[in-house]
Amino acid sequence: MRIKPHKFKGIYVLQKGKRQVCLTPSFVPGRVYGEDLHRDGKIEYREWSPTRSKIGAALAKNISQLGIYPGSKVLYLGASTGTTASHVSDVVGKDGFVFALDFAPRTTRELVYLCDRRNNMSPILGDARHPKQYAHYITTVDTVFQDIAQRDQAEIFIRNCDAFLKKGGFGILTVKARSVDVSKKPKQVFKNVRDYIEDKITIVDYRELDPFEKDHCIFICKRK
Amino acid sequence: MATVYSNCIGIFLFKDKKLVEEKLFSRNEIILYCPKLEKGEIIPPEEALAKKHDAKIVGKEKVTPRWVLEILSDDRYREKIREANIIITKRKVAGSVKKDNLIIQSANSIEEADKVANNLSKRLREWYELYNPEFSKSIESHEKFAELIQQKTKKELLDEINICQEETMGADLEKEDLAPILHLAAEISNLFNLREKQIDYVEKRMKENLPNVTAVAGGIIGAKLLAKAGSLEKMALFPASTIQLLGAEKALFRHIKTGAKPPKYGVIINHPLVTQATEKGKAARVLADKISIAAKIDLFKGEFIGDKLRKALEEKLR
Repeated sequence: MRIKPHKFKGIYVLQKGKRQVCLTPSFVPGRVYGEDLHRDGKIEYREWSPTRSKIGAALAKNISQLGIYPGSKVLYLGASTGTTASHVSDVVGKDGFVFALDFAPRTTRELVYLCDRRNNMSPILGDARHPKQYAHYITTVDTVFQDIAQRDQAEIFIRNCDAFLKKGGFGILTVKARSVDVSKKPKQVFKNVRDYIEDKITIVDYRELDPFEKDHCIFICKRK
Repeated sequence: MATVYSNCIGIFLFKDKKLVEEKLFSRNEIILYCPKLEKGEIIPPEEALAKKHDAKIVGKEKVTPRWVLEILSDDRYREKIREANIIITKRKVAGSVKKDNLIIQSANSIEEADKVANNLSKRLREWYELYNPEFSKSIESHEKFAELIQQKTKKELLDEINICQEETMGADLEKEDLAPILHLAAEISNLFNLREKQIDYVEKRMKENLPNVTAVAGGIIGAKLLAKAGSLEKMALFPASTIQLLGAEKALFRHIKTGAKPPKYGVIINHPLVTQATEKGKAARVLADKISIAAKIDLFKGEFIGDKLRKALEEKLR
């Protein structure tokens, strides 16, 4: 097989015709959301789709640093049904942990099934706007990943980093320009978000996620 | 200085930022205490422990200090935290089901049953018209058509519309070829029955849970609006202009994008006051106003003024 390690630990790549796809080794065998599976000897890998997952898109845009490593403890805000969260759980592996938070009961139901099968994930039903309401369900983490399409998402991100992120830990923020302000140009929205978070946290890398996600961008940050 | 902190797995006592005592919860205690902790309440065993050691409790007004969470991020608590979270999340998901959700599901089900019944009826007519086209043309209602062709023979039906058997354009079918057509008709009748039953259910539940909206908009239209909005909270927070156009999203976005004519009404087009009005746009606007008021009253459990709203509306549109 032509599965090779990616430059980030815990992630693998496969040459598929002309295109290169990212893979993660299945923490628990089997599909989560209908993705393609690949096998190399005894190890099963799941394909990380750049169109269905924002980290997948960031990887396809060749981001310089990811901030999620084997053994990381991750707070995942906006986990939904766990499409991306399952890949994060693959990457962090048995020594890591994922706190997957979502607000909607309907999607959280699917998330609970996923967490039942993966013993490095924990579901939380709560509102990311109010870290105090779920502080007693989680601990400090090495990485905060946020993917919630809300107007005040930058504030929410900083609030959660302040409350739960360890010193030197990574914060990953995806911004959906359309839900921050439809009337402004996406570039302008991204700049405003950057200006807001720059004072509080160090920005390590920034990518716009075109063409995989329209009007989205991702910030990789590090806590001072 | 001693500090007491409790989270979903237990109660912890710290002295000089070091853990000195822990009391882990049982499954029942998790279920009992977590909802209280979430609200920011101080739970009795926490208070007792604090008293014993003369310690300060990390309560609701304070953000949890990071060094506390740091200590608790130790791997030995990992599995326990995960188990507690799964228990609590399952209970929260179960607790999140409201009457809203049930009404929305049944309203959507009615809409889909409508679509399916219509599609199948069209097929039934095409099929049956090979056998007896004249009768199919003479009757408009799908529901009655499906009923009648099961009950009566071809001859009886043709007699009803005064056409003699020699004039018909339909072919004579063998019994075996007619049977599947009638089976389909039977299923379609069932589907219409199902729809009736679900409409009864929705109207009953709407009357109980959204009395004002039901009085103004009617049970089915109210339920459809609720389904489009997603929940009563959302619907009550919508401005009247949004309620007016719920269900006309396609036309609205076409208008915004290409400058085509804006839509005047969404699902409320089926309301009798709008259908009967000569100026439908105006009627829709006035009706949406009153529905919006009614939804706000229903959300905050105000008095019943639905009949007054309805009366004002009828006078205005006369």
